[in-house]
Amino acid sequence: MPMTEMPCQASVLQNSGWEGRKMKERWTEVEAGAKEKQAKQFATWLSGESIPFEDSNAAEAYQERINLLKDAIQLIKPPYRVPVCPSPGFFPISYAGSTLYAAMYEFDTLVRIWEKYCNDFAPDAYNAPTSIVPGKVFDLLDFTLYKWPGHGVSKEWPYQFVEGEYMKAEEYQDLIDDPSGYFLRVYFPRIFGALKAFERMPIFPLIHEMVLVPLGLFPFGTPELQKALHDIMDAASEATSWGKKVRALNGSIMGKGFPTYSGGFSKAPFDVVGDSLRGTAGVMTDMYRHPDDLLEACERLTPFMVKAGVAAGKANNHSLIFIPLHKGADGFMSDKQFRTFYWPTLKKVIVGLVNEGLVPLLFAEGGYNSRLEVISDLPKGAAVWWFDQTDMVRAKETVGKVACIAGNVSPPLLCVGTEDEVKAYCKRLIDTVGRDGGFILSTGAGMEGAKPENVRAMIDFSKEYGVYR
Amino acid sequence: MEKQWHEMTADEKQEAQFKKLLSPKDPEGNDLKFQSKEAEANYKASINRIKDAVQLKKTPDRVPVALLPSMFPFFNAGMTIQEAMYDNDKTVAAFRKFILEYEPDMHIGAAHAGPGKFYEILDYKLYKWPGHGVAPEHCYQCVEGEYMKAEEYDLLITDPSFYFRNFYLPRVFGALDGFQMLPPFTGILEIYGLAFFFVPYALPPVQNTYKALFEAGAEALKWAMAIGGLNGELTTLGFPNILGGFTKGPFDVIGDTLRGTRGIMLDMFRQPDKLLKAMEALVPIMIGMGIGAMQQTGNPQIFIPLHKGADGFLSDEQFKKFYWPTLKAVMVGLIEGGCIPFPALEGHWGSRLKVIQDIPKGKTMWMVDQTDMAKVKETLGKNACLIGNVSSSMLRLATPDEVKAYCKKLIDTAGKGGGFIMGNGAFFDEAKPENVKAMVDFTKEYGLYK
Repeated sequence: MPMTEMPCQASVLQNSGWEGRKMKERWTEVEAGAKEKQAKQFATWLSGESIPFEDSNAAEAYQERINLLKDAIQLIKPPYRVPVCPSPGFFPISYAGSTLYAAMYEFDTLVRIWEKYCNDFAPDAYNAPTSIVPGKVFDLLDFTLYKWPGHGVSKEWPYQFVEGEYMKAEEYQDLIDDPSGYFLRVYFPRIFGALKAFERMPIFPLIHEMVLVPLGLFPFGTPELQKALHDIMDAASEATSWGKKVRALNGSIMGKGFPTYSGGFSKAPFDVVGDSLRGTAGVMTDMYRHPDDLLEACERLTPFMVKAGVAAGKANNHSLIFIPLHKGADGFMSDKQFRTFYWPTLKKVIVGLVNEGLVPLLFAEGGYNSRLEVISDLPKGAAVWWFDQTDMVRAKETVGKVACIAGNVSPPLLCVGTEDEVKAYCKRLIDTVGRDGGFILSTGAGMEGAKPENVRAMIDFSKEYGVYR
Repeated sequence: MEKQWHEMTADEKQEAQFKKLLSPKDPEGNDLKFQSKEAEANYKASINRIKDAVQLKKTPDRVPVALLPSMFPFFNAGMTIQEAMYDNDKTVAAFRKFILEYEPDMHIGAAHAGPGKFYEILDYKLYKWPGHGVAPEHCYQCVEGEYMKAEEYDLLITDPSFYFRNFYLPRVFGALDGFQMLPPFTGILEIYGLAFFFVPYALPPVQNTYKALFEAGAEALKWAMAIGGLNGELTTLGFPNILGGFTKGPFDVIGDTLRGTRGIMLDMFRQPDKLLKAMEALVPIMIGMGIGAMQQTGNPQIFIPLHKGADGFLSDEQFKKFYWPTLKAVMVGLIEGGCIPFPALEGHWGSRLKVIQDIPKGKTMWMVDQTDMAKVKETLGKNACLIGNVSSSMLRLATPDEVKAYCKKLIDTAGKGGGFIMGNGAFFDEAKPENVKAMVDFTKEYGLYK
């Protein structure tokens, strides 16, 4: 047979005329055993098993800090004091006098930066430095979804997402039919320059009869696909060295008594489509032009988002699963659109995690003032809503009745305010939102550019003033 | 301006496919150079005969005759199957000899034996083959088993490619067990966490898996080049290969090599809904497989061997509920994509004819094994081209006169009004050369439409 280009699955299935199918309903109700599972997962997290604690004080401090979070989350009784868990963003880098470039390319520098931040500020929970990604891995893969320091962005600046339609409007059905197949053969070749040859990756389900196997697998004999896989292996060995450093670093920080703020990551299905598949413009027009495809794709992605969170939480012996929320913020869509497109599958992800005993840590970037009533439809004491520019008093009166609230010291205040202004804001938060517990004092976003004295004022003041009597 | 492919109707796509087949190109994209004027005329006459037979619009100039062997060409060349599987040159020589000796109007290529070393490298467990659990002169054999467990339907339905890579392939290929350690693709969401996704590719079992795939892929490539080269050569000699690719009905995909015969029979009773859902999930993939093969080979005929739907395996009701709907969906999808589905009714299918005749007219060709050809003609034959049904036992045991008499009967009944291709009913291994010859020669002589 002629060795012509293997057609990508997209073009193949597009012509097939096959009508889509609906997934069955699940994750609509919180199961009876969810509370018990949550208690068990907290116990696992609290046990601190396999953490190399420096001494018994460190082990105790570790448990105390988790208990602050646990009490704030469960809404059964107020914790001993308000837990203080700011989002550091890239603040630790400038604080240590380094650059993001150095942190992404020199692992020892990353370790020094992160230890210094935790030692100097002692937050009740710290963010593992997984957001300071290993630059060389991305160089090797020629990752096109972002620009990063030394690779399209200057060495001092944060990496930047490159908006685009990485999935075409007519490819919804391919994604729905075979999500992994779509990612592997259509999406990866677009977002990794080094994996262009994955377009020729065989469709695995087709390898099932003797005569078909060699025809299915011959692309692995081609230099293009072999090169792509060798590039992955090189990237993997780089990622492994980085992973080892980060693991050791986490062991060291946790060993001093600081738990991590989250144990896993997931996303709202709408954001999966809107962020890095269809892009913002794409998903916004799809709400009008392809509403059914969009809804079905969100449904189809839901189990993956549940599984991703559950698997990470269990593997890391942690309760909290971080879910950054993007396209559902005020102004991005109408209330009706939020209720139709954004919330139903996000709620399923939440319920799916809660059913497995995990606690979604929902980070509502931007404003969520118009969403507070809708998102209050949750089981009590099962999630954290972390707000940025939302009215915290109204949040407390609405979603705060069923969920722990976190937030919202703003980056501008930390960057240009005075220590007294920071303290005054924290005091107001603790007095209003923090009343009776159910509150984690945090920042509204990462603290890039903050004055160190303001960060210190926020943390120290809140720890002192936030004691419940 | 000419219509773009995706704007065409199924009829227009089929016409375009035949038009393309009638002006074949060489690998560089230039007009193919035939070895003689006669070869070119033979090639084009054969394509036109298939076209007329398939479309059912007019009778061809005569009944075309196809030879669709399994291992016969190797026995015919005095070789064992083991030799064919381990020596690409011998395979090619044997198949060339076979075509030049018997001169069928068309063939289906020399891919049947497959590259033995390739299977060895991958430690393929789904089959035994000559020198590897089967005697050198016997055909390979599928090892029945439950390669997919009864409780794994949800995994298959939720994410087919992931299920196959992480669960199924490691079970049927010993060398691919590293696949189990790979994370889901859908974990790639944002820049953080992405590095973790790649970490498993540094693990030795994963790297060994890819190493085996590279080695096996190289073997497959050598073999495919040999077979492909022969195809090209036979075309220049006037013998078209009519096989564009291969797909299967979803019930057979699950019943043959996933759940196995026993497993799927139980599932119809114990978990019918999951089975139905899984078959639906496979439909677009099986369509994609056929269309992908057509685009790769340039040949629209997509072979679909039919197994578990034969008489006796299922009740009428089960056939209608479990077997037929998704098989039909695959065929309709293929037709809309410009393919000509080429299902093979292996065994007896007399009780299914009324159901399966419900397909678009002039778009399919059906290989008939042991079903009564007159009955097939009256039903399915109204809508579809038939190919067959000289049986393997007749080719092996009968006399040339008996073969001729049977072919005459076929031409008089199934061949009436066109829509028929003379051929064997099942892929054959052993046969009397003179019987094979009689089938081809008699058809060329007696099969002229006046």
